[in-house]
Order: sequence, then C-alpha cells, then structure tokens
Amino acid sequence: MRLADRIAPALLVLMTLFVFILLYGPLMVPIVSSFFTVSHGAVDWSQPTTSAYVALAANEGVLNALWTTLVVGSGAVVCSVVLGTGIALYYTSPNAKGRGFLQFIIFLPFLMPPIITGLALLIFFRQVEFERSLVTIIIGHTVFVLALVYRTILTRLQSLSGSLVEASYDLGASRWQTFRLVLLPNLSSAMVGAAVLAFALSFDETMITLLVTGTQSTLPVRLWAMMRLGFTPDINALVALVLLFTTALCLIAVRFLMPKSAVAGSDED
Amino acid sequence: MNEAGVLLKLRSVSKSYGATAILHDIDLDVRDGEFITILGPSGSGKTTILRLIGGFTKPSGGEILLDGRDIAAMPINQRPFNTVFQDYALFPHLTVEGNVGYGLAVRGTPRAEIAKRVADALELVQLGPLGKRFPAQLSGGQRQRVALARAIICRPRLILLDEPLAALDVELRRHMQSFLKSIQTEIRTTFLFVTHDQEEAIAMADRICVMNGGRIQQIGSPHEVYYRPSCEFVAKFFGENNLIPGTLGPTDGKTRSIDTAAGRVICAVDGQPDMAAAPEGSPAFAVCRPEAVTIGDDAAGENRFPVSIGQVAFAGASTMATATALDDPGLSLKARMPSRPGGASLRPGDTVTFVVPASTCRLVPA
Repeated sequence: MRLADRIAPALLVLMTLFVFILLYGPLMVPIVSSFFTVSHGAVDWSQPTTSAYVALAANEGVLNALWTTLVVGSGAVVCSVVLGTGIALYYTSPNAKGRGFLQFIIFLPFLMPPIITGLALLIFFRQVEFERSLVTIIIGHTVFVLALVYRTILTRLQSLSGSLVEASYDLGASRWQTFRLVLLPNLSSAMVGAAVLAFALSFDETMITLLVTGTQSTLPVRLWAMMRLGFTPDINALVALVLLFTTALCLIAVRFLMPKSAVAGSDED
Repeated sequence: MNEAGVLLKLRSVSKSYGATAILHDIDLDVRDGEFITILGPSGSGKTTILRLIGGFTKPSGGEILLDGRDIAAMPINQRPFNTVFQDYALFPHLTVEGNVGYGLAVRGTPRAEIAKRVADALELVQLGPLGKRFPAQLSGGQRQRVALARAIICRPRLILLDEPLAALDVELRRHMQSFLKSIQTEIRTTFLFVTHDQEEAIAMADRICVMNGGRIQQIGSPHEVYYRPSCEFVAKFFGENNLIPGTLGPTDGKTRSIDTAAGRVICAVDGQPDMAAAPEGSPAFAVCRPEAVTIGDDAAGENRFPVSIGQVAFAGASTMATATALDDPGLSLKARMPSRPGGASLRPGDTVTFVVPASTCRLVPA
C-alpha cells in the first residue's frame, strides 16, 4: 500500500510530462532548426546561424503577406468588437427577442469546420457578385472571430450588476450617457482582451482565407505556398515568429480577461 | 397641488407577470416629508411597489399620481426620485466623489458646483475624507453611506430605499437605522423604505404599510399596527401575541363582546368601524399583547382567564409566562412581565388568573 501511495503521484507527474512533450515538443523542432542551415536534405547541426531570419527580412513576398495579415487582423478586430459589443448589449437588454437563435447564428461559424464557413462565404460572394479582395478576407475573419469576441464581452456584461444600469438611469442619465459613463469603462478591459484574442485567431487563420482571398495572401497562406516548394530554413523562421507572436498575444489577452482582484483602483492623492 | 401634504398617490395599482399576479389593487398615499416603511415577508410584493414608483417596471393596471398627474409614461431618468439599491449599485470604476457627483454630472452641472455639493453631501453622511477612494476599498457601512449621499445630492422629492440595511451585521444595522432617521429629519425629504424586518420598521417609520400576498394588510403608525392590528396576519406578524378565536356578540359602540371557548371576552372597538358593524355570530379573534396581561386575582380588568402555567422563560428585561386556559385546554395564552432580580415567583403548574382590561383587547376578523 505504502509503495503504491508513493508511486501513484510519480506516475501522474510522468504522464503529465509526457502529454506536455507530445503537445509542445513538435513545436520546438521548427524553432530550433530555424537556427541551423539545411544542406542536401539534412540539417547541419554544426553551426547555429540567424541567416534564415535575415533571408526572411529580405523576402518581399513575406513582408507583403505580413502587411496584409496586419491589415486583415486590424479590420476584423474593429468589426468584431463593434458588432460583438452591440450584440451583447442587445442580448442583455430586457426587451430582446430571439436571443437563443441569435446566439446560435453567431456561434455557428466558430463551431463548423472552417472549410464549410469558407465555402459558404465563397458561394455567397459569387452569388452577390462581390469581388474577392482584402475586404472579403476581413469579412470572413470577422464572421469567424465574432463568436469569441461576443462571448467574452457578454460574460463581462453579465457579471456586472444589473442595478448599475438602473442606478445610472435613476440618477438622471440618458441611454447614451449610461453606455459611455458606466458600461464602456466596465467593459473596456474585456473588449481589449477580446480584441487581442481575435487578432491572434485572425493572424493564423488559413482555411477561410484561402477560399475568400483575391490576389492577396496573408502570412499563413504564404507559408502554405512556400511549403509546397520544399521545406527551407526561412519557413522554420517564419513558423517560429508566428508562434512567438500568437503566444505573446494570448498571454496579453489573459492579463486583460483575468477577473479583477478586490482592488479596483488605487489612491490618487 | 392636490390634497395638501400628499406627494404621491397609488390608485388601484396592480402588477402581474403573465398569469402570476404580484400586486393586487394597491391604494397608497405617500405624504410629503414622511418616513414611510413598506413591510412584508419576502414575496409580498413590497419591492415591486418600490420598483413601480421608481419606474423600473410598469404597472399592469391602476395609476401612480405625482402632484395629481399620472407618471406611468415618465421615464426613470426624469422622475424626481432617487434610489438606494439593496446591493448599493455603486459604480466600481468611479471614486466615491465620482459616484456621489454622477447625478449632477449627467445633468451638466458646472464642475465647481459639483465639487461643492459632493463635499457637502459627503460631510452630511460623515464620509468627508474618503472622497478619493474606490467602492472596493470601503466597508459595507461606508458603501451604504455613499449610496445614500449619491441619492440625496440631486435633491429628489422622494428617496426610495430597497432593503438597504439587509447586508449589514446587527450592530452596524442598529447604528445605520438611527443614522438614516437623523439624515431624513435633517434634509426633510420623503423616505420610502422597504424592509422585511419588523423591528427595523417600528424603529424608523412614521407610518408602516404592512404587505402580504401582494395586498396591503394595514397602513398606520408603528403603535397602531402593533397594538391595533386590523387583521389576523398583522396581529401575528409583529412578535408574540395572544389570539383567542370566537364568534362576535353584541356591541355598545365602544366595546364589543366575543364568545370564546374560554368565556365571553370584552374588546374595545373604537376606531374600528368594520369590527363594530360586523354581523353578530361572525368568526373573529380577540387579540391582546402579552405585555397587556396582568397576573393575579386582585388585578383590575374585565376579562379574566383562569390558567395553568406551563412554562416560564426568562428573556433578560422581561419574563414570558406561557399558560393553558383551564376552560379551554386547546388555548395557549402568554403573559410578559418585567423580570425581577430575585427571579420569577411563578412556577410551572401554578394555577393563576390572567387579567386583560377591555381597553387593551382588540378584535380582528378570522
């Protein structure tokens, strides 16, 4: 019995370690190998180098793709935060109709396989003869990240006491004043957190982008194209950078979305 | 102005959600400058009355008149009332000053005036030095005061208080009761205070409106609802009471007899035209407070009940004797007497007489 008591925790630790290695180990491979050169199909481990990163910085295609990605991400973030906030406010308003249906529609694109969402959008754009461009990518990404943004803001909104809004009206404030002076300040950190997460999602979205893009390519699409030509160190470098960037974004988002501690502010004097 | 002194009138106000009726036929006058308490158990509809007046919900029927005009369609933010919410509803992102000054700021009051009036209001609620703190840095009692200061700063004609003391501990609660009352006297504003706590209502109110099951049971001064209940519910709602069932006998206009299993009981009916006019033979209760009962054969009083003492309970300043009527073993009667340092002279099993003067005995319909 005593032995089993001591072995069980050790086994649990080993299992956890194993899962972690399985999940995150493969991610280390491109990061590590991005610092080495490849010759004749084999990695040359003898000399670490940053040459892959230098090559990347000079690659105009990659730089253009990066720019497109940033534009698309920003566009999708702005659209989804504005829409998500509006819909969350509507959802919590006492006279809202069709709440369940609304929620279902918003969650659908997030839960469906991206290829279905992408195809549906593609067919839609064809039907209404909307030329595929940067705008269609932004629309596609907005549809995709809206559920997350909406849910994040709604959760914060629902955690606010309903009597805050009533108190604001009671003290003579109009609807707009109540939104600007009471709701917005209490939602802002959730909005920033949701925006960062949405940007991270948009940053590595590939499938929908591939289907609704015109001539532009975002970073992941570019990566996809580069890999068809063979695996080179600059691909590793690109993967490493994308990983680093999205991880950083997620860490930032968590900071904003963590429940506030007991102290809401500090003495100013 | 219509009738002098009446600020707000509720006329046949009702409220239902779907098929569920919350309030039936509420008639209530709120007088200018009074401290009126709406008292009732949970689910009695007392908070709904407050929310209807505040404009947070709309009545299903009837009208609410302010200066004789129906305010049903008036939006919350235009009603000259302010509310102290049960959870205080302080804005967490604003300082105490920001919270208190909110009502003035949204009306576009000049900054200098806001600063002055906020300082005055904080002074009034004795929170002067805490203006720069945030609500999360305050104790429950302090938050309560901020909520009060925020409600009075716009000089409303009526302040609605929704069980504002419910979240405080007993000690702080007592303190806040007298504090609220003194503020009300100082600013001479009408307070409508909702509570489920009988003691709180008695301690603070000029008038109490007792609610049960969505209906008003009685409106009157604390003394009236305590000593002259108008119905069985009110008679049982304020602490220990003796209710003796029987059927109504003849009346001489000032008193009326009621025949009970423990004999004929004479009760005062002055000021109770309904009970004076009720047909003979209708069921009713004779009601008398335990403290109105005196013990002993030589005590003066019309109503005398020979009893056997069952229990003598010491409760600090007073001692409660519970006894069974010899003429009606099903009837339990209570007598409260001042405690004596030497201990009570009564023992369980003693046979004594409970004497109740007719003037302290009232009738309520059964």
